[in-house]
Amino acid sequence: MKNVLLFAFWFLVGLIALFLAIVLGDSGAWYLAWVLGTVMMILIAVTGTVILEVDDQHND
Amino acid sequence: MQELETVIALSRSQFAATALYHYLFVPLTLGLSVLLATMETIYVISGRPVYRQMTQFWSKLFAINFALGVATGLTMEFEFGTNWSTYSHFVGDIFGAPLAIEGLMAFFLESTMVGLMLFGWDKLSRGKHLLVTYMVALGSNLSALWILVANAYMQNPTGAEFNPETMRMELDSFTALFFSHDAQAKFVHTSVAGFVTAAIFVIGISAFYMLRRRHMAVAVRSFRVATLFGVFASIGVICLGDALGFINGEGQPSKLVAMEGLWETAEAPAGFNVVAWPDQESMENRFELQIPYVLTPLVTHTFDGTIVGANDLVSRAETRIRDGIPALVALERLSEDPDDRDALRQFRAHGDNLGHALLVKRYAPDVTQATPAQIEQAARDTIPPVAPVFWSFRIMVAAAFLMLGFLILATIYSLRGQIVDKRWFLKVAPWMIPVPFIANEAGWVVAELGRQPWTVYGQLPTWISASTHSVGYMIFSLVGFVALYTVFIIVEMFLMVKFIRKGPDDGPLPPPTESAVAAPGHTSQWSQA
Amino acid sequence: MEIYIVLKLVWWALLGVLLIGLAVMVGMDMGVGAGLRYLGRTDSERRTVINMIAPHWDGNQVWFILGGGAVFAAWPTIYATAFSGLYVVMLVLLWSMIVRPLGFEYRSKLPSQRWRNLWDVTLFISGAVPMIVFGAAMGNMLRGVPFHFEWNMVSYYTGSFIALFNPFAVLCGLMSIALALYQGGAMVMNRGTGVIRERACNLLTAAGLAALALFTVCGLWVWFMPGYVITGGADPAGPAMPLRKTVEASAGAWLHNFGAYPLLWLVPGLVYAAVLAGVLAARRGFSHLAWWLGALAWAGTIGTVGAAMFPFLMPSSTNPGHSLTVWDASSSATTLGWMLVFTAIFIPIVAIYTSWAFWVMRGKVTPEQIEHDEHAY
Repeated sequence: MKNVLLFAFWFLVGLIALFLAIVLGDSGAWYLAWVLGTVMMILIAVTGTVILEVDDQHND
Repeated sequence: MQELETVIALSRSQFAATALYHYLFVPLTLGLSVLLATMETIYVISGRPVYRQMTQFWSKLFAINFALGVATGLTMEFEFGTNWSTYSHFVGDIFGAPLAIEGLMAFFLESTMVGLMLFGWDKLSRGKHLLVTYMVALGSNLSALWILVANAYMQNPTGAEFNPETMRMELDSFTALFFSHDAQAKFVHTSVAGFVTAAIFVIGISAFYMLRRRHMAVAVRSFRVATLFGVFASIGVICLGDALGFINGEGQPSKLVAMEGLWETAEAPAGFNVVAWPDQESMENRFELQIPYVLTPLVTHTFDGTIVGANDLVSRAETRIRDGIPALVALERLSEDPDDRDALRQFRAHGDNLGHALLVKRYAPDVTQATPAQIEQAARDTIPPVAPVFWSFRIMVAAAFLMLGFLILATIYSLRGQIVDKRWFLKVAPWMIPVPFIANEAGWVVAELGRQPWTVYGQLPTWISASTHSVGYMIFSLVGFVALYTVFIIVEMFLMVKFIRKGPDDGPLPPPTESAVAAPGHTSQWSQA
Repeated sequence: MEIYIVLKLVWWALLGVLLIGLAVMVGMDMGVGAGLRYLGRTDSERRTVINMIAPHWDGNQVWFILGGGAVFAAWPTIYATAFSGLYVVMLVLLWSMIVRPLGFEYRSKLPSQRWRNLWDVTLFISGAVPMIVFGAAMGNMLRGVPFHFEWNMVSYYTGSFIALFNPFAVLCGLMSIALALYQGGAMVMNRGTGVIRERACNLLTAAGLAALALFTVCGLWVWFMPGYVITGGADPAGPAMPLRKTVEASAGAWLHNFGAYPLLWLVPGLVYAAVLAGVLAARRGFSHLAWWLGALAWAGTIGTVGAAMFPFLMPSSTNPGHSLTVWDASSSATTLGWMLVFTAIFIPIVAIYTSWAFWVMRGKVTPEQIEHDEHAY
């Protein structure tokens, strides 16, 4: 049951993402840029701390 | 008439005061919510408790700031009705919808989830709590989105038409409203400016700790997250600012003229005024220092475009005022007899310039009797106060590049692992915290003062938009707001500083849970402060 | 029936739903705030009471904000005319409400007793005053408000500020705060234990009975006071232009709808039934049932006002022809339609995650727990 719910959840997320990409890509380019840019900024910041932890480990 | 002018001035002062005050807290909410989500993502991925401490510490500061954002936001939601009733009636059909959708789609989400984020640490699994934090970030930014969709209508009205039967603008195309270029660029610019604000806030406070060698585990990591996040955000703000300038050039030429201090129409290649002393009365700059060739590509995104200056805009406005007067006359006839076909035909022919005719009504209550001098005066009103807009714009841009440089430097030091040794940088960093706030406020001034003399650009003049209150009422409310808000900011700053001094709760760390990055039991040079 | 008429009617009903949601959810938190010093005698008890609503007050308050936004979107003429006409009252409402987030958020941040007492006062004010103003505003709508329009729809309010606090409006305000205290009592019973729960039960009983008494007095008053009747010129399918009809004031007119449709008497009847059953349920310990019955009582109260006034929303006492009604104060069909789409999509979503939030934070809150919880207010 849990797997089904999880699947449904991610399926929904995927659908929304597709919908956004189609509608925004067409007439809301800046909105789309915000979505992609924000996700990118978050990922880069996360990666940055991963590098920090790895460096830390080396220094030990 | 004199009383009306005073009421307008007081209503404007009150709106500016409450909006600028509200806007002190909003950008930090926009950005810090996303940064909190980022920090918590790292916690969930790595399982290291230091990231949980970090998220919890910053969310305490978030909550102190958020409370005032919510409190002052209440005022904004009602102030259009209480103080700008004619405006509210005139555009309610368009303007109200995004505000209501903001409540439905965004603010409910943000506010419900913020309760769970702050109080649900022990009641939710890590994954669910992370989802909640992301919902707070999404909710607050969606709030900004809908508010700016509404604001974009005031700046560059699209998707609506005047209905003489109801004496107001009515919605024509919801998608045109939502996808207006002004709304899109303004939203991204504002939201990402919030990201920069939060990044510099986090960097400044982390530097304060590092300088004193306190809470090192949290400080070094927060610093790293914020620098990388902030550096990309500040590039984004500057790019979008440029896009907004371009959109303004097309949609609101008078704002552009004020931003650039451009009185005469400029053929390519036009020079960019770095500093200038604009004189509204004589419509020229008493002094200016230019960089040649830069302005044309900057504003028009071409090398051969022409930028219309204030003088030409005024003469265009004069034509539009004269053309709009019959529309206003026809409208009054229609209000007496809605079936007057003749009047309707006359209105249809001149309706586009109705707003301009309303400008001259300020000086000539009977517009058919307006003298050429009055029309000229009304036309000159279409240029916003140039000096404050010009200088606010320069303050904003200078702050943006200062922050970009600061963030690049911070990123380099952080990535090289040198940051704790750069004591001069750590000393400077806390003093950078006010800079994004100044830039945000200056940006508001450019956008909203630059829109004058209109509340809805080209359609509804500010002087006619306010509620018909007495001067006494307005003084009472203005004094009340200022007094209350002053107390608020003192209490807020007091608590904020107190909690920053106290710092994160970093007693003995609980043993790390499952970890994707570091081996269990691993201690690093920063994990114990 | 024309689609525009349907949309207007749907939005009239949704306005009711919104006011009920606002009264139930915000009123509950305000009842807790107003009753705080009674419900909790020691600081630890007070913190316990505050933390029962701590995770939810913010989300609940959005009903109030949405109220502003939705009236703006669907009934822009009401938004413009009512909020500017009732200017000083709106300021009192806003100023008392904006100290509330700070009261919750800042009160327990410092250990000083004086600091906390001060914020308790703000929580009392920000609980009691807005609910009184809410009720008084309804009362003033029933009485009619002195306003008129110019030909270009610029509105003028010609009454004094003191006139808005007339005896009838004040009684309505007291009725409103009484129901809020009832609702707050039910909430605290749900999540409280021991002596706090007992006090909440007493508060609920007293407030519930007071609300019924006030409802009866206000009802009798409405029976004899002048109501308003449209005598001509109103076109339900027409454009939203309120200046083209004729309206008369006549005593007892607010009962006409009840005369025409006697089934409507069930609506005020619901208030009596719900409050009485709610008090009984609470005294037997069924506090959740009492909470829902309180919500029903609010629905009955607001429903009664709506049923009496329909199709009026905001009658003008000085120029009745300019009264705002369901037919002539709404947005255009396009806006009402778009708003309906958004409402239909998002209200269920809001309901789902709000319920989830309450479910996550469910369970009793006790003073012992609060002492050890680092995240509590």
